[in-house]
Amino acid sequence: MVLELQKPRPVWQIMFSTHHTDVGYLYTITGLTFLFMAGVLAMIIRTHLFFPGEGVLVSDSATFNRIFTVHGLTMLFLFALPVANGIGNILVPIMVRYKDMAYPKLNAIAFWMNPVGGALLWLGFADVSWVSYAPYSIIRAPGPAADMFIFGMKILGISSILSSINFVVTVLKCKHPDLSLRRVPLFAWSMLTVSLMTLIAMPTYAAALIMMLTDRLGLSGFFNPFAGGDPIAYLHLFWFTFHPEVYIFLLPAIGMMYEIIPRFSRKPLYSQASGVFAFVMLGIIGFASWGHHMYSTGMDFTTKVVFMIGTLAAVPASGMHVFNFLATMWGARIRFAAPMKFAVGGIALFFSAGAGGVLNSAMPLDFISHGTYWVVGHMHLFLTGTIGFGFVAMVYYMFPYITGRMYSEKWANVHFIGMFWGTVQVFFTQHLLGLEGMPRRIYDYPPEFTSWTQLNQIATVGAWILGASFAVFLASLIYYSAKGKPANMDDPWGLGGKYYYPVAAKNPHGGHSGY
Amino acid sequence: MKSTSKQQMKTLIAVSIIALVALALVSQLHFAYAQLAQQENTKQYLNLRAEVWNLFFRMTTAAFTVGAIVSGTMIWLVWRFRESNPKNKAPTKWEHLEDPTAGSYEEEGH
Amino acid sequence: MGHDTAEWVFVAVVIAVLVYVGVDSWIVQKEVEDVPADAEVIKVTGQQWFWSFEHADGTKEISTLHLKKGHAYKFEIYSRDVMHSFNIPDWVVFEDAVPGHTNHAWFAPNEVGTYPIQCREYCGLLHYNMRGSLVVEDDKS
Repeated sequence: MVLELQKPRPVWQIMFSTHHTDVGYLYTITGLTFLFMAGVLAMIIRTHLFFPGEGVLVSDSATFNRIFTVHGLTMLFLFALPVANGIGNILVPIMVRYKDMAYPKLNAIAFWMNPVGGALLWLGFADVSWVSYAPYSIIRAPGPAADMFIFGMKILGISSILSSINFVVTVLKCKHPDLSLRRVPLFAWSMLTVSLMTLIAMPTYAAALIMMLTDRLGLSGFFNPFAGGDPIAYLHLFWFTFHPEVYIFLLPAIGMMYEIIPRFSRKPLYSQASGVFAFVMLGIIGFASWGHHMYSTGMDFTTKVVFMIGTLAAVPASGMHVFNFLATMWGARIRFAAPMKFAVGGIALFFSAGAGGVLNSAMPLDFISHGTYWVVGHMHLFLTGTIGFGFVAMVYYMFPYITGRMYSEKWANVHFIGMFWGTVQVFFTQHLLGLEGMPRRIYDYPPEFTSWTQLNQIATVGAWILGASFAVFLASLIYYSAKGKPANMDDPWGLGGKYYYPVAAKNPHGGHSGY
Repeated sequence: MKSTSKQQMKTLIAVSIIALVALALVSQLHFAYAQLAQQENTKQYLNLRAEVWNLFFRMTTAAFTVGAIVSGTMIWLVWRFRESNPKNKAPTKWEHLEDPTAGSYEEEGH
Repeated sequence: MGHDTAEWVFVAVVIAVLVYVGVDSWIVQKEVEDVPADAEVIKVTGQQWFWSFEHADGTKEISTLHLKKGHAYKFEIYSRDVMHSFNIPDWVVFEDAVPGHTNHAWFAPNEVGTYPIQCREYCGLLHYNMRGSLVVEDDKS
């Protein structure tokens, strides 16, 4: 076992391994490392906005713009994607009963593109914002930062295409013949869905990045209005990739909850079929709503209506997931250990964020919310509230199996309360800030706008609570992986029954005998 | 099992009907708003900001109604089905299985 | 078992809510996009990092826009460099300024006062400070 301290292996053996669990650990640890790095940037941003007009911590807007850009890019592409891929790597081959990923070397290559892409993003520290709208990113963004951003994103995009190919082939072709696709566990289904989505969505953005690069070099003018191009074309290409990408971030977290909630409810899942159906529906409908990011770019009425319907159409499928979770918990005997707490907290916040999303899809409300802190609050509520909670739940769930030791339930509780409280306080307050009209991505605001100042200060205090809870998380991950009590590996939470998937992942080199 | 699941269904349907009634009330609210806006605004132009903000408040009313039902259900679920609840002393009928999560409702239920 | 019925009822309720949201937004959006025929055209140009305005009679203003209460105004929104977003939060006026495109927004102020104008799309270094003000005055004529 890789990180198991009784039988340690030299670190290079893990690093140069192509085994799916090893690559999975690398992905997960890289993802968590970037989470804490980007979290520090978030703390800087929030602390800075506590004091309007004083330039605390960040004394110029150029640096501030770079900080929020790198914060966003890191959280999305260096935390959310790698952690999903990491847990996917550890569990998906086991869930489909295959010895490894379909292409182990490709898997390792796809992982090792992440640190490279991450280094380019962090060393460049571009100021294009994560959406990098043309023509700013073409005619005004300073190089070489913006060019490094393009190459970094390019590498991360290729990495995510490669790992998606791997997941699709693993699930569809390497699945055990006795296991019908309908009975494949829902977490593996979520990875299959998001991998197919990535394969459809990501090449569009990859093309847009190349076009942006040649535009920057002056060789072409696809998106440059001063060379005959059209910035709106960039927006379409960008959102065609990145609205589906929202579901690509979200579905693995939902899949993780499907692993955790029945386990801690000591009860079968309410309905496998409706989970599969909802995943596939979201995977398809996710492509029908990208235009709702562009209502205000001069879109005509009919197009807006089409995209509004496309957006609303995704809601029943999301609702089916929530229903499935609640129905699973109904009549159960739930042990609220840390993974279950985070999973249930995640569902509650998923619903809140989803309700905000329905409001966003209403065309006239775009006048109020678009480009304000409402959007910041909404999308962070999804990313922290659902995806973050799902991932953290899964990290606690895998912790005994990865380290052979038990985390402290007491400190996990502190983390949970801090994270839930902090998430609600920051991101709900940011919704209100948006209603007060505060634009996103601003370095400073006039101190005489007292409502902005007050709400920002409330949000910042929430962010500090959230940050402190993550400090607890980091400290307990490190401390209890070295000093924690040895875990009862058969049943770490005393739930009764066998934990097939993580137990099999525990012993990667000995094959698994869970079946 | 049969009777409990019927009860569950009844509860769910009741909750759903409450939601529908609440939504019907919301549209009444809309009507009242529109009348107010008409009385107040005798000018010839549409009051754009009033229209948009009224829509916003109607939508938030709907969102909070549904939200209250869903999160209420959830809080109740968490309180009622926690293992420390005295009513939950008896193991569920799946717990004798090798893996409770691998059970099914059909085979074990009757 | 009744599982399916409960779930279908739930999905039906969700769809009912969504239909309500969709129809209501459709109605309001239709109303809001209907620009009055007698609206006066104001050309708004965004550039890094200020707004300039041109009235129908050719008068130009920078950063501060003076309008009269009780008239309808239609903004023609241009950008000279990167994307901006013309926004008067207090009047729910909001539309992107996209270079190479002309976008429109309209409103009819019915209250005098001074209101902030801002840029709501990230446009670089001084995006945060791309502010102006709208002054709505009584129509004396």
